[in-house]
Amino acid sequence: MPDLAILAAPAAAVLAPVRALGRFSIFAGQVLRRALRPPWYPELVLEHCWTTSTRCMVPVIAVCAPFGMVLSVQGLSIFSMFGAQRLLSSLVSVAVLRELAPILASVLVAAQGGSSCAAELGAMRIKEELDATEVMAVDSIQYHVVPRVLALTLATPLLNVVGATAGILGGFFTAVVVKGEPAGVFINEMWTLTGPADVWGGVVKTTVFGAIIGLVSSYHGYYARGGAAGVGQAVNETVVRSTLAFIVINYFLTSAFFGSVGGP
Amino acid sequence: MTASWLPSPLRSFLHQVGSYAWFVVDFARATARYGPPPGQVMEEAWRIGIKSLPILLVISAFVGTNIALQGYNAFRPLGGGRLVGMFVSLAGVRELAPIIAAAMVAAKAGTEMASQIGVMRIREQIDALEVMAVNPYAFLVAPRLFGITLVLPALTLISIFMMLASGYLVSVHQLGLNGSVFLEFATQGIAAVDFLYGMLKAVYFGLVICTVSCFFGFTCARGPEGVGEATNRAVVVSAVVCVCSNYFISEILYGRLP
Repeated sequence: MPDLAILAAPAAAVLAPVRALGRFSIFAGQVLRRALRPPWYPELVLEHCWTTSTRCMVPVIAVCAPFGMVLSVQGLSIFSMFGAQRLLSSLVSVAVLRELAPILASVLVAAQGGSSCAAELGAMRIKEELDATEVMAVDSIQYHVVPRVLALTLATPLLNVVGATAGILGGFFTAVVVKGEPAGVFINEMWTLTGPADVWGGVVKTTVFGAIIGLVSSYHGYYARGGAAGVGQAVNETVVRSTLAFIVINYFLTSAFFGSVGGP
Repeated sequence: MTASWLPSPLRSFLHQVGSYAWFVVDFARATARYGPPPGQVMEEAWRIGIKSLPILLVISAFVGTNIALQGYNAFRPLGGGRLVGMFVSLAGVRELAPIIAAAMVAAKAGTEMASQIGVMRIREQIDALEVMAVNPYAFLVAPRLFGITLVLPALTLISIFMMLASGYLVSVHQLGLNGSVFLEFATQGIAAVDFLYGMLKAVYFGLVICTVSCFFGFTCARGPEGVGEATNRAVVVSAVVCVCSNYFISEILYGRLP
């Protein structure tokens, strides 16, 4: 019988993420089960939704609008090589509606809403407020976690629509006001490649991303440990992991919607 | 004197901007006088780079696949499926790689800076440094600043490479395009100077991320909520400042082209 003790450290390194994933799945299952059964707290959901949306509104607009403007600058520098400036607005609307607004809005919601959700829950955990909730015979997941997850799920698609509007307006501003392209052409060509289906596609995507952000952030906050530094750590991991999760999922969703195999 | 006629959110915003400016001035003065502690710069660069590298690789790869898919879908109705290579290289090299690298470093290393320095602040370790006549700006912020400006351009180049590689793989194996046509259009779209511009952007983003994150760490409020809040603000504010100023940098670098 060989000595297997030397394998202990690598095995632990491999098993740690598997364990974390398992714990996360159990947590997600608990949240889902409690979301489906009363008591519900609709006023808490609305309150968290309101705080999240108002806190994320300015960052989402402040990031999406410059991205639309950059898109116009770069798009014009390419299209003017072919004399095809009229294609600019369809490029802007495709890029903003299908990818940029959903991804940027979700990244900003993860950075602002998700991380403040993790920070709040983490601080409650460190100060033993979550334990106090349990002592009062109130289910802490049902009262503290479920409304936050639902609020993020609701707020992300709304912010996506806001971000898309800001991005297209930013693109319009640069193309028409700064670069002097004709406004009528911009507006007329905007819907040649896109339609209402793209708007709804973005809304569906961001609903999924919002649920992921809610679950990941409340998982890290709910199980925060180790004082103030632990809360900082939880916030850090929330932003990174939820971004990672929805960028990977985004590829598969995009492939499912548009990625048909075949030649041009 | 307080300008009490201003609405209070605007006043507190201006107050924050002003204290950030003072923070940068103090920091620059201290660094010019004392310099970073020897040996720390390379260590910080190594830590920031290694910590952000795995996530950056994965995110860049998936962003590259997405640009290829969306570019193909946007150009195919116009009969330009072959232009995907150009689209991937232009979008990736000029805009997305610098921004994605900066966003990931802000999310990973920037939040860590804010929470580390915030924890030091609330445990009064920064005051302890001052008592020992060690300048906290030169000792804590300067190595991080030099480290991030060294490593972020390198991360940007790695991110460009991952985007192009994954865009190529998706175009050739999932969309069935010709590989050599992809490469031909990809090299037509960009010039060597684009890489230089990308690295210039990265240096600027590094300066922004480091000073903003350390500023929020230094001004951290008491208690666990304070650290959470500082970390949260660090990533949001540095992302917003990077993206907003990116527009002006792109306008200066690329807006004048024919």
